Amino acid sequence: MNRRLRKRRLVPAALLSVIALLSSGCSEGGGDGTGDGGSGVDPATEGGPVKLGILGECEGPFGGFHEDTVAGVALAMANFAGATVSSKTTALDGWTGAEVNGTPIELVGIGCGDDTPDTIRDEISQLVEQEGANVIIGPLSGDEGIAVAEYAKAHPEITVLSGIAGSQEPTLQVQAPNYFRFHGDGAMWNAGMGDILHNKEGWDTVAVIADDYSFGHTSAAGFIADFCGVGGEVTHRVFPPLGTTDYSSYIAQLPDPDEVDGYFWVVGGTGTQAALEAFVNAKGDLTGDQHAGNLFFNPGLASALGTDIAGAYVGGFAVLPGDIKTPEIEEYLASADETWDTLKTGLTGGEPGPPSTAAGFGFMYGYYSAGVALIRGLEATGGDPSPEPLQEALANLTLDLPYGEISLDENRSGIVDVGLSQLVEEDGKIVQKAVAIVPKVDQSFGGTFSTDTPPPSRDFPPCETADLPWVGNEIPVENGVPQE
Amino acid sequence: MTARRLLTPANAALAVLVVLLLALPAINSGFFVTFVLTQALIYGLIAVTIVFLTSHGGMISLAQLLFAGIAGFMFGNAALESGARGLNLGWPPWVAVLFALAVTTAVAFLLGALASRTTGIYFLMLTLVYGVIGYTFFAQVVTVSGPGGVTSIVAPEPFTDRVNLYYAAVVLSALAYLAFRAIGRTNFGLALQGVRDDPVRMSSLGFNVPLHRTLAFTLGGFVAGVAGLLNVWWRGQIDPASISIGPTLIVLIIAVIGGISYFEGAWLGALVYVLLDTYTDSIPLIDRIGLTPDRFNTVIGLMVLLIMVLSPEGLVGILERVRRGRGGASPSEHSIELPTTSPTPVQTGSGREP
Repeated sequence: MNRRLRKRRLVPAALLSVIALLSSGCSEGGGDGTGDGGSGVDPATEGGPVKLGILGECEGPFGGFHEDTVAGVALAMANFAGATVSSKTTALDGWTGAEVNGTPIELVGIGCGDDTPDTIRDEISQLVEQEGANVIIGPLSGDEGIAVAEYAKAHPEITVLSGIAGSQEPTLQVQAPNYFRFHGDGAMWNAGMGDILHNKEGWDTVAVIADDYSFGHTSAAGFIADFCGVGGEVTHRVFPPLGTTDYSSYIAQLPDPDEVDGYFWVVGGTGTQAALEAFVNAKGDLTGDQHAGNLFFNPGLASALGTDIAGAYVGGFAVLPGDIKTPEIEEYLASADETWDTLKTGLTGGEPGPPSTAAGFGFMYGYYSAGVALIRGLEATGGDPSPEPLQEALANLTLDLPYGEISLDENRSGIVDVGLSQLVEEDGKIVQKAVAIVPKVDQSFGGTFSTDTPPPSRDFPPCETADLPWVGNEIPVENGVPQE
Repeated sequence: MTARRLLTPANAALAVLVVLLLALPAINSGFFVTFVLTQALIYGLIAVTIVFLTSHGGMISLAQLLFAGIAGFMFGNAALESGARGLNLGWPPWVAVLFALAVTTAVAFLLGALASRTTGIYFLMLTLVYGVIGYTFFAQVVTVSGPGGVTSIVAPEPFTDRVNLYYAAVVLSALAYLAFRAIGRTNFGLALQGVRDDPVRMSSLGFNVPLHRTLAFTLGGFVAGVAGLLNVWWRGQIDPASISIGPTLIVLIIAVIGGISYFEGAWLGALVYVLLDTYTDSIPLIDRIGLTPDRFNTVIGLMVLLIMVLSPEGLVGILERVRRGRGGASPSEHSIELPTTSPTPVQTGSGREP
């Protein structure tokens, strides 16, 4: 090789690197120059604005719901902080004019997650350390929630309000004092299912198939704790990886229909239908009296799998089943339609559709709840976004929201009402009807889960009887009307 | 080597660059240093092992991120005293560092020995299989990870301070660059390049071809493991998705963007990648032309395509061509330095079949 060339080769690369780092290094915002190993941010000081970052998910299994997440926050700003959305056809353009007690709420950025902890950690770093966000709303998904809670724990100068991440760990195990969750977790959303299936439908044994990640574990754990708590037995636990396309090998691990009273499904995203189809191919038709599932079990499955699925019970989510109508719910849904003409949401398949369609689903509602909590928290502090007063105010909030009142437990996780439903056939179509509301569900499940127990996993919790506070206290719902 | 030989323009430029990078936190220790540059240096440190194996051994490896991941998982398992997942051995952090590097190096040696008799596309596919097996292993074996990974990992002192972690990344990157350059001039490095160019002839001359490939692969695994430690200290967690096929390809793309025949290209490619990843959506009105954050991979894809069209030897190759166009040194087909005793030009990175 020509040595002269070798000697000179490093020079252009070095110059380019130096120019790049100096130019970019001088233009960033939020640097404090302390090098303290923290964020290098200049968090909001008393009297400053709220610099709000939203953690959405524009890629990955839930990438279609990116618009929904931002819309939830924007709707809260429009309804309660005097904001005007910047576009009538997309929420991603943000808003202007949001203000609480004279403190403006500025949207400084929207993070784009992909359901992985690494990406969401990069996104929150960027929002906080580059854009100077002092309040974060998000994320959407379970594993992301753990990563964000860990980040929040290391950065006490920011305040994080979970979007709709439903894993148990962020609040019960990580316990970041500045991470607030004004919604339930995946386990809580299945509270009461065991009572119905064991005591009402007579299931004694059940096989559980769940996504192998934190939300799948949490959701399955809630059902197992509930079903076993009232005396049922979980005979099989099968955990296919999230994003599996061929479920045949996992279905083969399930017992045959004559060996078990029922199956409980916690398979979400694109996997729900694929897993159920694999079951049909391997073990026969799906029947409503032998199958139930968490929130992913929806009427849309019937179009591919047939109406025999009628009768299946479905776990709850952040919102109550759609047939429950109250003036507060109607007003909330109408406000979404007034705020935007159309939105391209996950509920409308990414095509322009009525905003209320998305507003009635848990993803948008979770972010809406977080937005309302931020506004109420700021009202309580007189508009001061400083971490200490704001976090203290948030911890003591009780939100009166369209789908029910939400307060926080000592770990800053929501205590919520859970609406359980059933798929029923009406005029040849499968629809979802509410059957019960389980009031005041908290994370502990009567002590099954605590700060001293491990997080939900493939083999935790064990199948044991327990005293569950809501057994026998579920509020029945008939024709969309709670009977109490 | 004499001081006079060390005082080359390339070494001087490297020294200036390192000094500048080390001095940068005094000017600004914020996001650009603790996020952008640190991430780029870590990516570069992983990618340079691909460059080394490709340019000196003719082996394009897709297993380098796996080795970074193994080091991260092992450190997390060994260092954490308690946690939701993993072994929680609670060892002193520097013992955990040694343990992580020992395991990573041992695994790299074993996997390298298995792959040492393959070349070209077969080697590439085998290392891809390694990566997939590693991902599946950590996703399925809950004893050491499980799908949720290992969280709450804390770096040993003094690297809890992210500026110190940045310094470590700068120093280790410089050391890795110098070491890989130096290895090319050692007997081992020369033999390795001989193995790359004509393994049959080298075998006939009495060189142990599989052993040279195995040792090179092991060295690459060790350096990637060092980068993996920096990475897990920087992120505070690691999970199977961190070493899945997507990030694996990103590391290869970084090496290609910078120039897979140039050691310095690894860091240049990493810097470009991280800058694009971080700042693309900050460009005014970029979303109006459809380049929303969810289309970042499209931007990277177009970038790689453009670079491949302009210069198969990446950004450093482009810079070289620009410099030559200004009447600099005479053109050369070589991208990796060869010893002065080399009698004939050698095309790098060919990985010919034996």
